[in-house]
Amino acid sequence: MAKKGVADYIRETQVWKSIFRHGPPTDARNRAAVVAGNVFLHLHPIKLKRSGVQLGYTWCMGGLTFFIFLALTVTGLLLMFYYRPTAEYAYNDIIALKEHVPLGIMREIHRWGAHAMVITVWLHMFRVFMTGSYKPPREFNWGVGVVLLILTLLLSFTGYLLPWDQLAIWAIAVGSNMAKATPFLGHGGPGAALAQIGDFVMVSDKNDVRFQLLGGRFVGEPALLRFYILHCVFIPLVVGVLIAVHFWRVRKDGGISAPL
Amino acid sequence: MSDESKKQLNRREFFSFVTVGWVAFTSAVAGLASLAFRYSYPNVTFDPEMDFIAGFPADYEEGVDERWKNGFGVWMVKQEGKLVALSNICTHLGCVPNWLPAELKFKCPCHGSGYYMNGINFEGPAPRPLERYKIALTPEGKIKVDKTKIYRYEKGQWDHPDSYLSV
Amino acid sequence: MKEFINYMADPIRSFPIMTILYILMMKYYRIIGTKKFAIGAVVASLPVVAWFCMDANFRAIILWPDNIPINIIIILIAWLTWYSLYRCAQNDARIEKGECPIEATPENREKVWTWPNLVYTELMCMIGATVFLVVWAIIFKAPLEEPANPTWAPNPAKAPWYFLGLQEMLVYFDPWMAGVVLPGIIVVGLMAIPYIDTNPKGNGYFTIKERPLAMWMFMYGWLVLWIYLIIVGTFLRGPNWTFYGPFEYWDFHKVVSEYNVNLSEFLWIKWLNMPMPGNIVLREILGIILTVAYIVVIPLWSAKTKWGKKIIENTGQIRYYIFIFLLLGMTSLPIKMVLRWLFSLKYIIALPEWELNL
Repeated sequence: MAKKGVADYIRETQVWKSIFRHGPPTDARNRAAVVAGNVFLHLHPIKLKRSGVQLGYTWCMGGLTFFIFLALTVTGLLLMFYYRPTAEYAYNDIIALKEHVPLGIMREIHRWGAHAMVITVWLHMFRVFMTGSYKPPREFNWGVGVVLLILTLLLSFTGYLLPWDQLAIWAIAVGSNMAKATPFLGHGGPGAALAQIGDFVMVSDKNDVRFQLLGGRFVGEPALLRFYILHCVFIPLVVGVLIAVHFWRVRKDGGISAPL
Repeated sequence: MSDESKKQLNRREFFSFVTVGWVAFTSAVAGLASLAFRYSYPNVTFDPEMDFIAGFPADYEEGVDERWKNGFGVWMVKQEGKLVALSNICTHLGCVPNWLPAELKFKCPCHGSGYYMNGINFEGPAPRPLERYKIALTPEGKIKVDKTKIYRYEKGQWDHPDSYLSV
Repeated sequence: MKEFINYMADPIRSFPIMTILYILMMKYYRIIGTKKFAIGAVVASLPVVAWFCMDANFRAIILWPDNIPINIIIILIAWLTWYSLYRCAQNDARIEKGECPIEATPENREKVWTWPNLVYTELMCMIGATVFLVVWAIIFKAPLEEPANPTWAPNPAKAPWYFLGLQEMLVYFDPWMAGVVLPGIIVVGLMAIPYIDTNPKGNGYFTIKERPLAMWMFMYGWLVLWIYLIIVGTFLRGPNWTFYGPFEYWDFHKVVSEYNVNLSEFLWIKWLNMPMPGNIVLREILGIILTVAYIVVIPLWSAKTKWGKKIIENTGQIRYYIFIFLLLGMTSLPIKMVLRWLFSLKYIIALPEWELNL
């Protein structure tokens, strides 16, 4: 009989056995058990077609998008410890993040990670199109994916305002003025001029979509707070739910696409 | 007893019951959603100052005066015997154009809209001229600019006597 | 030489060039989708890129921290587009010979264990991505400009890079079109793809031959109308959003005389030699007629053509009309760009009174 190593002793302790209910994943039974029994790994099926594990087919872009989303959640949480979303403090807190805090690349990782997530999500869509993976039965999941793509862009865009620097407010000024030009819903868009009864203007700068976005008529502190809440809580929540739907449907629609 | 209860809820009644239930549910959800929507529009907002006193008409020389641009977002433009308070918000997407004295034009850095000195757009994507604000004289003879009232060229409002000062 | 490249990079010339290159790429994808071509292209482009990077102005643009993601995405897209074409060419050659695509070979249909096959791939990707991000974060500082100042706009004022395609569209369209309607069409169009494209072939494997229409349309929108416009907006637009060649110094006083004319002014003043009519609808009548013709007559007419009949036969009336409206929305961008460049045409319909400009 072979000599027992340290690893084998650890595997036989009660603590180990209480956490991992199966042996090392070297045989069929345990390989199935490790994927099915682990809450994180059970996103995957136990077995899948060989074409679906090849990097040349999947490019791993969807998986990377999810991973970067998690990385952004963690770094974003850490950034929140040092950031106050007010016009008075925001800019100084961003400088402090660089100067007064150890590991001064947290903001860099968050920012470049945001860019990287936009890139991976686009390339994921590109791959899914190229392999025709949106075709039945995956039509609905493609739609969920498009919504997630938009939400990724919105997450990135709302994050842009938070440093409260020149780049931030002018990007938001341009963005919110596009909202102003929304037909019928923005006071500077087509249709708004027609929605007028005598002197009473139905769509004005006090009740259009731009006002709702900014919490006021100008890009100012209410806008900063709104974008902060949208960026840190609201959109990530929606994205989280939709990611769950997206992954669930990948499984239910037959896993990673493959020739019929 | 059981026979009676079966009679009380026949098929048609069941469906009308369900319909009423769904209508009530939908309207409740719609009502709550519209309340949440209204919640996002505060009743009070804190806007910057909308009017200011801009000195005496004699303070201004012919051409574009930028002294109120940073504080209030207004260019005072004196031309052909008229003094006007020109908005510095680009009519395209709300950036702030720059006055280029060498080329005698306002040029927006965001998308390249250009305006003549009088505010009329001539290049780039701007759909209409810059807006004028209401300008008037106080009893002391000082200029008062009121940004709550705007005058738009394409609506023919630049002939309005409040939209300029004759100097 | 640099002068010539600067000259050619102007969207007036580079947009048609890109379109032609795109058509050549899709037409000869079997030549491009070979390893020989890829090696040749890399070998040929390395000295060119090195020569480009010798130029201080070019270096200044590409090494601007906010532009790094675009450099990365350009490299990735070039590589992945070639790789897709390579896989498509491989599969299409097999299909022509009567074989199944590579993804459908018995070997690839075989089921394998998730652990370790998939899990290890994912682990490697995660480690790679982490290392990449950390290195990126160490090399390039996240940019931070001056504190916010609502009274002074920086020059040029650019949106985040992924919106620069839209910002470039804003040069040709009014905000309600470029900022609301066209993005809306993009989103709706993307979501509608699976319902319009009823072609059952090409599900789960790379192919161009079995789904040419879908490929040609999507790739054009994605590569030329989206990525190319982002590149223009990032690298070739300088102060005042005027065009600057890749080797050109961003001179704030570059004077560009650009006078754009509305269609109504062409009609009444240039062609009819008349003053502009007071009635605003009459004033814009030609533009309104053309627009209505574009969105009503073209779909009805094209439904009668051979091409339209075939699509209707395959997918049905409703799908056909949704498809054609989305297609018209997409082609409105290049049409408007070409009109602007050829005739300095500003708006086809100019109704600033109603905030309605097209």
